[in-house]
Amino acid sequence: MNIMRFIFLTLLISTSYSAVAEKLAYQLIPEKIAEDTWLLQGALQDFTRENGGNIVNTAFIVTEVGVVVFDTGPSKRYGEALRKAIRSVTDKPVIHVFNSHHHPDHFLGNQAFTEAKIWALPETGKLIAQQGNQFAENMYRLVGDWMRSTEVQLPTQPLDIEHMPVMPVGKHRLRFMAMSGHTGADLLMLDEATGVLFASDIVFFQRALTTPHTPGLDVWMNDLVQLEALPFKLIVPGHGPVDKSGKSLQQMQAYLQWLDKTLTVAAEQGLSMNEVMELPLDSRFEEIALSRSEFVRSVFHLYSRYEEAAF
Amino acid sequence: MQTIKAAMCSILIVLGLVLSPWVQASDDPLKSPMWDYLRNVFLGDAPYQFDERVVVSVPPFAEDPTQVPVTVDASALSEKIEKIVVWADLNPIQHIYTYYPLKQVTPNISLRIKVQQATPIRAAVLTQQGKWLVGGAYLDAAGGGCTTPSVANASPYWESHLGEISAKKVLREDLGRYKFKVIHPMDTGLVDAIPEFYLQQLELRDASGQALLKMELSQPVSENPVFSFDLASDLAANAQYHLWLRDNSGNEFEKAL
Repeated sequence: MNIMRFIFLTLLISTSYSAVAEKLAYQLIPEKIAEDTWLLQGALQDFTRENGGNIVNTAFIVTEVGVVVFDTGPSKRYGEALRKAIRSVTDKPVIHVFNSHHHPDHFLGNQAFTEAKIWALPETGKLIAQQGNQFAENMYRLVGDWMRSTEVQLPTQPLDIEHMPVMPVGKHRLRFMAMSGHTGADLLMLDEATGVLFASDIVFFQRALTTPHTPGLDVWMNDLVQLEALPFKLIVPGHGPVDKSGKSLQQMQAYLQWLDKTLTVAAEQGLSMNEVMELPLDSRFEEIALSRSEFVRSVFHLYSRYEEAAF
Repeated sequence: MQTIKAAMCSILIVLGLVLSPWVQASDDPLKSPMWDYLRNVFLGDAPYQFDERVVVSVPPFAEDPTQVPVTVDASALSEKIEKIVVWADLNPIQHIYTYYPLKQVTPNISLRIKVQQATPIRAAVLTQQGKWLVGGAYLDAAGGGCTTPSVANASPYWESHLGEISAKKVLREDLGRYKFKVIHPMDTGLVDAIPEFYLQQLELRDASGQALLKMELSQPVSENPVFSFDLASDLAANAQYHLWLRDNSGNEFEKAL
């Protein structure tokens, strides 16, 4: 009887552990979006303890000589899950990793890729060195145990676009562009072999854009104009579904113009910040995920500049 | 007889134990651990009640804990207002400002504050009948706003622009609104080796020098503060006002509007 009870308890305990363990596993299933090219699409959500920060798009290209990874996700655990997902597609080693910008959901998975070259714009490297720890701390607060053992792993290779605008990897020619609308240092990558444009957070699609480090909405809108002229076939946004039609760019332009105009008019009318936060959204943007909460955040980030201009 | 007494006694004790939470529990709708203490500090023993006509607006989350917009609107009150005291329960320095509407102003005040952590924000209105009407809102925050060095501390800009005031007047439907920005570091004194240095007094005065409103400010008011006040619109349209401020170092700043 006692032995039965012991076995039963042991089973109970071990299954309960595995149940908990399963809860904290990212379900990363690579989706093929073009030849050799795979996407892991994040949820159209904010950081929560349920999603573990998996709100971001990461992607990889399998070339003859090795795998190229574009962004590494919000945590060490995510980076490791991404490695596993890559392994499910190919046995080739990861040789190049790119961090598109210094926001935590795009580089905190770097720890899983230390044997690869980790590239980023020189300014992005500096920003990660300055603010990375603070971002990581905030992520522990927001998503909790998913972050366990995550530490800042700096990019190892500063990407000098002037000297190396194109990097051939196998038969994939990767062309780089530096923009600044989202954070001041945003890296975009166009795979000339497939026409896939990895647009970083310069493009959000069906998920409201975020503005904590934008140098200005006008800068961002200029970036989008440049982007429209590129010979892409498919856009991989930083957040949201892939876009073949270019609709994401129209959505971005429309929202940025509306936001800029709304804040300008509000400042001229002398509204307080709280009054602006309560303004109605344009109905065109109601279907975009998190449009209300990101509008409030953007007022926080940007309104004082518009007030300043209106004095 | 003896057993009945004993039984009565134990019933009383049990009743007392059961009822004491209700008697002792605070009536604070925001359930703050600091309510009883701060009520005593700011309101003393005067009678008070919570009143939804005193509206405190805060954002759902303090995205930037050094610049959190707080609007206090008591314009729905019909009672005459003596003053409004505004504080943050869980800030290391709780008092934010006290506002005195002296004549012809509508009690609707907006400015930005620093918060050290998530906290209730209170506005207590003292009516001329001597009763306190209390409004409040809960502000969620990651925190750190009071112990972050001011931006001014890393840049010499403020040294040559201290006390510079930008002003803007707008006429809204039935109100005139004045909005001001003052260049000042507003150092809290809570950051290592940076002494407190902040604006303490503010008055909006008419042409004859009489104040329309007065404010006493404390350290949690944000760096380079932006104030907005509402007046009756016919007054705002033509009258000549000026703004006067003084900081804790005795510097006085003045600007005609």
